[in-house]
Amino acid sequence: MRVGVVGLGAVGTRAARQLASSDDVDEVVAVDTRATRIREVVASLGDRAVGALDPELHGLDVAAVVLAGPAGSHTELAARHLAAGRHVVSVSDHVGDVQALLGLDAAARAAERTVVVGAGFAPGLSCLLARHASDRLDVVEEVHVAKVGTGGPECAREHHRALAARALDWRDGEWVERRGGSGRELCWFPDPVGARDCYRAALPDALLLVPWFPGVQRVTARVGATRRDRLTARLPMLRPPHPEGTIGAIRVELRGKRRDASEVVVLGAMDRPAVAAGATAAVAAMWVATGRWARPGATSLAGVPEPVDLLSELARRGVRAAIFEGVTPTQG
Amino acid sequence: MARPRNRSLTALRRSLLAVVVTGLAAAAMRLRSRGGVPPQSGGWRELSGPELR
Repeated sequence: MRVGVVGLGAVGTRAARQLASSDDVDEVVAVDTRATRIREVVASLGDRAVGALDPELHGLDVAAVVLAGPAGSHTELAARHLAAGRHVVSVSDHVGDVQALLGLDAAARAAERTVVVGAGFAPGLSCLLARHASDRLDVVEEVHVAKVGTGGPECAREHHRALAARALDWRDGEWVERRGGSGRELCWFPDPVGARDCYRAALPDALLLVPWFPGVQRVTARVGATRRDRLTARLPMLRPPHPEGTIGAIRVELRGKRRDASEVVVLGAMDRPAVAAGATAAVAAMWVATGRWARPGATSLAGVPEPVDLLSELARRGVRAAIFEGVTPTQG
Repeated sequence: MARPRNRSLTALRRSLLAVVVTGLAAAAMRLRSRGGVPPQSGGWRELSGPELR
């Protein structure tokens, strides 16, 4: 089986590395616009990787493609790969990308292929944790996602843009727009990240979660930010983004009912965001390509049929989930 | 010839100065300082074993 990775930034490189080290994958096609970057990555991956400059991979028999290029550019490319009969996994956390990729549902069903949307750290692993946490509840009433940290430079740019844009929350059966940078909440993430102030931002998590939780009343997403981040979010980035961020974390809080009693389940994960995103995207690509996740259409990781199996595979690759046990001020 | 002092104008200038200085000090503190963290009880535990099977 051959799998393509388009975009060799922090996330794409990690996804390619995960794929190249998997028994299910015979060859990884590493694609980027920079020939030197392709050479570096292919050399580091060994015999099972080849390079290419063509993002559409014309003439190659590729089962699945991981799209890890800059946010905002995924939809058109995903449609072309879909038309070529390939499964598509996108790591974009851009709201516009996610909305448009979910709009490929009919085309994906017609092609009997799967488009996994938002398959990174958050969204991505966050959706998977929400799905897993929901198994502990009889009724899910609220889902609240928070994340802190960024992967590569493109992720940092998206974080900057998101804080200045309108946030999208699901409240009582309808979408509500809120100002980015508002709604401060103190959220506890897995150690050693700990407590961080989180704010509303243009995050696509709610778009990816709501379809999988029928009857859910509230779905929100927040991002960890400093006061300086909020102050400067509406300005151009004052300095170039870092090559890669440090440790990040996600936190997913579900509220609902279990045996008619109110219950709160909080799951989380801590890792370098690009590492966790790369592993999540790679495993998702292998699952759709091998038929372990055979559901034609556009979906998120909240729609995976066996979340425990996918979490186990991620844990085997070093991306581990955690559960919060105790009492903490609630988020919302 | 010295101009007569306008007491209300002076008071207004001083008030404005006080507001500006206070605002600058508050902005500096808000940007530089870290807030306190309320207590929590409990902690994180890695999912393992049956929880991942």
